Amino acid sequence: MIYARALGQALSDALGGDERVVLLGEDIADPYGGAFKVTKGLSTAFPDRVRTTPISEAAIVGVAAGLALAGYRPVVEIMFGDFLGLCFDQIANHIAKYEAMYNGQATCPVIIRTPSGGGRGYGPTHSQSLEKHFLGIPQLKVFAASLVHDPSALLSRALGQAAPVLHIEHKSLYPLEPLARSEVIGTVVDLAGGDAPPTVSIRHVPRESCAATVVAYGYQAEIARRVQARLALEEEIFVELLVPAQLAPLDWEPLEASTAVTASLLTIEEGTSGWSWGTEIAAEMSRRRFGQLRRPVEVLASAPEVIPGARDLERRVLTGEAQIEQAMRRAAG
Amino acid sequence: MIAVGIPTTDVNSETAELIKWYVADRAAVSEEQPLAEVETSKAILDITAPADGFVLHDARVGDQLSLAEPLAFVFASVEELERHVADAQVAVAPSSAERVTEPARRRAAELDVDLDLLLRRSGDLITTAVVEAAADPSPDSEQPLPEPLAAPPGIRRIALIGAGLGATQVLDILRGDEEQRTIAIVDDDPKLWGITVADTPVIGGVQRLLALRAQDAVDAAIIAVGTSVPARVRLREICRQAGLPLANAIDRTARIATGVQFGSGNIVCAFCHFGVGTTVGDNNFISAYNSFDHHSVIGSNIATGPGCMTSGVVKIGDRCRLGTGIFIEPHVELGEGVRVASGATIVASVPPDHTVKTRHTTTVVVPNRQ
Repeated sequence: MIYARALGQALSDALGGDERVVLLGEDIADPYGGAFKVTKGLSTAFPDRVRTTPISEAAIVGVAAGLALAGYRPVVEIMFGDFLGLCFDQIANHIAKYEAMYNGQATCPVIIRTPSGGGRGYGPTHSQSLEKHFLGIPQLKVFAASLVHDPSALLSRALGQAAPVLHIEHKSLYPLEPLARSEVIGTVVDLAGGDAPPTVSIRHVPRESCAATVVAYGYQAEIARRVQARLALEEEIFVELLVPAQLAPLDWEPLEASTAVTASLLTIEEGTSGWSWGTEIAAEMSRRRFGQLRRPVEVLASAPEVIPGARDLERRVLTGEAQIEQAMRRAAG
Repeated sequence: MIAVGIPTTDVNSETAELIKWYVADRAAVSEEQPLAEVETSKAILDITAPADGFVLHDARVGDQLSLAEPLAFVFASVEELERHVADAQVAVAPSSAERVTEPARRRAAELDVDLDLLLRRSGDLITTAVVEAAADPSPDSEQPLPEPLAAPPGIRRIALIGAGLGATQVLDILRGDEEQRTIAIVDDDPKLWGITVADTPVIGGVQRLLALRAQDAVDAAIIAVGTSVPARVRLREICRQAGLPLANAIDRTARIATGVQFGSGNIVCAFCHFGVGTTVGDNNFISAYNSFDHHSVIGSNIATGPGCMTSGVVKIGDRCRLGTGIFIEPHVELGEGVRVASGATIVASVPPDHTVKTRHTTTVVVPNRQ
């Protein structure tokens, strides 16, 4: 089952299992079923609780906030992650603050799902990965969909807690099949993350034989996994790949444990470089492992430019397979 | 055979779902007849036959199809369709490729390690380290390794790497050499340790050689592996890192003209000719009866078969592998990593990492007449 279907199935299970779950978003109802077909069939099965809304992201998220305060479990779809700017105020100044402002007497468990990322020629305003602007907002959790985490387990974890969650789904993941762990030569293990969902570790040989730790999320994790496998099989360059499902707050324990052995760290993201997830990890890990890394933390991100519409130009700007391979070789060197 | 794709300019989709087939697998179809219905994120499309013929399904209902890949093929005849199916079944032979790294595969070939056995023994990735451990299973063997032969002062003490057929050739070449003497052979196959090749003992693996070098008990090495260019490159790198120089072994019957420059680590077998002003790089294995005419440039890490002849001013790039009986015209340049089949006559330059094949074979085998 491709990732978009698996996500739809998880939403269907949530709607079926909990009367308080409602879905809101632009064009999510049948027959269109959402711009990326994730919610296809759900409005037919749950006509009262799956609603297509007018085109106003601030209103959609504001309504969701009200529903959550009133005891519902709203799941919102923002058609493109680029439109998150329109709901920034609702998220940062309202949804994330209510629980603390009302001293725990009110909670606002809104889940905001949104496709991110480029690679499809959609141009400057439909291709971005804006999640870095939402990292570090107190009380807001940022999740990233991946092919190595079970979307159903992630969604039920999000629904089972009081904190609001921004759920980033790179659009290139939708048509892909989730990773069959049995097909990986080596080990794929869930490193338990306490409050956070597990970070998945993928490596082809024991950690002691890995020359670097690579941390990536979403679609970049999938590209990194392919490069990791190719370098391992063709050249015996071995790295450990860590894929967290929760970008912020980040569980540092897997990174600490892995870099204690490999002494080298590479971060990968598709958002623009500078002031980013990777730079925050670099700062924190440089502090935690001060003097114990054999080279500076390598931070790989997209060029800090407006994303062009032409695909060949877009490819030069966004983090891709070639850049990941080069960075991985450097980190393992 | 015509591949049937999904004709759409829909930039919103990279895949489409196959909704249904209108015609059965292998059925006869006519041009423009609808074959299948697919759905992209924007539209439902009918896919029609591009020509009259017989259709072969290449997808199942419910599949997410890449817009860049065909979902069916149309063949002019049933026979053509059947041939295609038969070929396709041969092509998808199961493979263990994903379980063995490329370096491990090469190392296993060098060490003669049975990869199938290793694959059966463990579900882990087979790496070079696993292969080398399997090749050297007996660290507990108490047999003392033989010591290298002695050499009079002033004679260069040479160790050969590789105890195979290449070693017998090098030993023969060095037999008449008054300045160098072979004192030992090393080989990473433990089964060979303790034997002698033409009275020269195999004293252990490459590690032993490096230990002897550290004790200053050996002056230079010669890589006596003839056929595997990757092995020659790898061993040369090991020697370089250990600061162990490579010596040349040049047969005394070779004719070396004025102004020829040799690098190091070259093996030149009997009756070779190097024309005026020719330069030769490092670590080459030149078989018997090779002739490189004047002002040619021979790179490094090259292996040739017997009877390769070049005209003047020919360049042979690094890592080239030449078969037997090859002629090369003047001013031809072979790029790095070029491989040439036996019997080729090369009249034009070859770009790097290409293979020269011969278009016809002249050997016909028939039973003897009574």
